[in-house]
Amino acid sequence: MMLLVPILVAPAAAALGCLLARSPRIMAFVNVVAFGTTLALGVDLLRQLQAPPHVVTQWEEFFRADALSVWMVLLISVVSLGSSLYAGRYFQRDLAAGVVTPGRVKEFFVLTPLFTAGMFLVVLANNLGVMWFALEATALSSVLLVALYNRNTSLEAAWKYVILGSLGLALALFGTVFTYAAAIDQKSTALPSFNWSYLMSMAGQLNPRMIKLAFVFVLVGYGTKAGLAPMHTWLPDAHSEAPSPTSAMLSGVSLKVALYALLRFHILTTACLGSGFSRTLLLVFGLGSMCLAAPFILVQTNLKRLLAYSSLEHIGLICVGFGLNSPVTIWGSLLHMGYHALTKPVLFFAAGNIHQTCHTLQMRLIGPGMVKMLPATVVCMGLAAVAATGLPPFGLFFSELTILNGGFAAGHSIVSTIVLLALLGAFCGILYQLTRILLGVPKIARTSDAAPWDGVPAMGLMLGALVVFSVWLPAPLRFVMQRAAGIIGGEAVP
Amino acid sequence: MNPVQSELATQCITLLAAGMLVIQLLMVVQGMLLTNIRLFALQSLMLAAIAALIAFFHNATHVYWVAGLTLAGKVFFLPWLLNRQVRRIQIEQEIAPLLNSSASMLLCGGFTLLGYIVARPFTTLERLGNNTLGVAITLLLTGFFLMINRRKAISQVLALLTVENGVMLAAVALTTYGMPLVVELGIFFDVMVAVMVLGLLVYRIRETFASMDVSKLSQLKG
Repeated sequence: MMLLVPILVAPAAAALGCLLARSPRIMAFVNVVAFGTTLALGVDLLRQLQAPPHVVTQWEEFFRADALSVWMVLLISVVSLGSSLYAGRYFQRDLAAGVVTPGRVKEFFVLTPLFTAGMFLVVLANNLGVMWFALEATALSSVLLVALYNRNTSLEAAWKYVILGSLGLALALFGTVFTYAAAIDQKSTALPSFNWSYLMSMAGQLNPRMIKLAFVFVLVGYGTKAGLAPMHTWLPDAHSEAPSPTSAMLSGVSLKVALYALLRFHILTTACLGSGFSRTLLLVFGLGSMCLAAPFILVQTNLKRLLAYSSLEHIGLICVGFGLNSPVTIWGSLLHMGYHALTKPVLFFAAGNIHQTCHTLQMRLIGPGMVKMLPATVVCMGLAAVAATGLPPFGLFFSELTILNGGFAAGHSIVSTIVLLALLGAFCGILYQLTRILLGVPKIARTSDAAPWDGVPAMGLMLGALVVFSVWLPAPLRFVMQRAAGIIGGEAVP
Repeated sequence: MNPVQSELATQCITLLAAGMLVIQLLMVVQGMLLTNIRLFALQSLMLAAIAALIAFFHNATHVYWVAGLTLAGKVFFLPWLLNRQVRRIQIEQEIAPLLNSSASMLLCGGFTLLGYIVARPFTTLERLGNNTLGVAITLLLTGFFLMINRRKAISQVLALLTVENGVMLAAVALTTYGMPLVVELGIFFDVMVAVMVLGLLVYRIRETFASMDVSKLSQLKG
C-alpha cells in the first residue's frame, strides 16, 4: 500500500532534479514526467478506492485518502501536467524575446513542482495542522511564481497576494487552533489526535461554541486563499501578472485546494452542530462572489483579469452548490470543479500565446482579428470560452444545470434565480469581450511573428479530455465522485 | 500539580501575556523601525517564556521545543534578519503611519475591549492561563490594524509577525499542552520561510520602485 508517499515524492524529486539541471528543455521534461507519474499514481489510487473500506491510509493514518482526496489528487495532477506541457515552449519564447532570464526560468521549474507537492500534501494530510502548513507552503511557493517577471505590476500583485494570503492563513490557523481546543477533554490529560478522521469520529463531543467560532475564522482565512468575495482582491492581480502556466494552476486547482480545506471544516462543523450554520455561510459567500464577479467581467479591459474574474464566478458557483447542500447540488459542484479545472487552463494558455504575440493584455490594444494571427490558439480559446460560459455540449453546461436544478428542487428559488442572473451576466460579458478580440479583421500591424502551433498540444489534450468526460464518466470515477458527494453531504461518515 | 503551584503558574502566565499586550501597544505608537524590531523580539521572548512555564508546570517535554524554537527563531534569528535588511537597504527610519499615535492608541484600546468580549464565553473553561485568550485575540486585531496603518513594507512584515505571535499564544493558552509537535514544527518553518520570501520581495520592490512605501503599489485596479 505504498501509494500516498510517492505522490508527494515525485514532484519533490522533480524540483531537486530541476535545481541540478541546466537546460530549460530538460527541466520542462522532468516536470512533465513527474506530473505524468503523479497522474498515473492518482489513477491507481482511484482503482484502489473501489474496494472497501474505500479509504487508503499510510504512516499510522498520517496520510489518508478518501474519495474526496482522490478526486482532488486527480484534478491537481491533470492541471499540473497540462501546465508543464505548455510551460516548456512558453518559456522558450520568453527567453528568445528576452523577457525573462534563464535564472528565472529555472526558478519556475523548481518552484512549480514544490507548489504542486504542497497541494498534494493539503489533500492527503489527515492532520488539520499539517493541512494548514501545507497550504501556507503552496502560498509561499506560488508568490515567487507570481513575481517571476519582476515588473512593477507583478511585484505589486505578489505583495498583495502574500500579505493578504498570510493574513488569511493566520486567521485560518486561529480557527485550526480553536478546532483543536474544542476536541480537548477537560478532565483527561491525554493529548488528543489532531486527525480529521478522529475529530469526525467524536464530532458529537466537540465543544459546539468553539467549533462555531473556529468555522468563522477558517471561512474567512481559507476563503481568502480560495478567492471568495470580499477577500478576493488579490485574485485578479495575481492571476493576471503571473506567467500563464502559473495562472492556469492558480485558477485551475489552487483555488479549489483552498476550498477543499474549507470543506473539511464544513463537514466537521455540520457533523458537530447538526445544523445549517456552515452551509448558510458558504451559500452567502458563494453568492456574493458570483454577484461581484459578473459586473467586473462586463467592464473588464485586461484579458487575463477577465479570465480571473470568471474564475471568481466559477468558484462562487461551486461554493453555492456546496452551500445548498442537497445531494444533487453537491454532485453538480464536484462535476463543476472537474470541468472548470479542464477548461480554465486552456483559456489561460491561449491568453499567454496572445500576450507573447501582442506584448500586451489590454484588449483594445490586442484588437480584433486574432483569428488571422493565431488560428489554432483562437479556435482552442473559442471552444474553451464556449465551454466556460456554460454552453452545451461541454460539461460545464451540465454541471451548472445540475446545480440550478437541485437548487430549484430543494426550494431555494431565490438563490437559484440570483445564480442564474449572475451566470447570464458572465455569459454575456465573456462572449462579448472575446468575440471582439478574436473575430473580425485585424486593424493593428504586428511586428512579432506568430508561432501558430505553440501550446496547441496542451490545449488540445485538455479540451479533448473535457469533451470526453462531458459525455462519458468512467464508472470508477463516477463511483468515487458519488462517495465524495456523500462525504460532503454527511452521509458516509467514516 | 497542587493548587498553589497551579495558582502561581496562572499568575505568571497572565503577567507575561499582559506584557505582550503592552509591547503590542508600544509598537502601535512607536515610530522608529529599528525600535519596533526590538520590541517584537521582546514580545517573542515573553511568548517563549510562557511556553517554557507551561512545559515546566505540566512536565510536557515537547512544549520545551516550542519555547526553544521561538527563542531561536523569533527572538534572535528574525530580528537579526530584519535588522540587517533595514540597514542594508538604508531605508528611512520613520514608519509613516496613516493615523497619528493618539488616535491609534484609542482605537487599539477599543480592540482590547473587543478581544476580551469575544474571549469571555471561553474563559470559564478550566485551563491554565485561560485568560490569555483575550490577549491573543487583541494581538490579532491590533496586528491587523498595524498592517493597515503602516505603509512601509518591513513594518507590514512585523505586523504579520505579531499576528503570528497572537496565534501561538492562543495555541498554548487554549490547548493546555500546545499542539502536536509536527504541527508546531511545520508552523515554525513556514514562518521562517515566509519572512525570507517577504524579505526577498521587499528587496525587489526596493530595487524596482526605489522605495519601500507600499502605497506606491497601486497600478492594478478593477
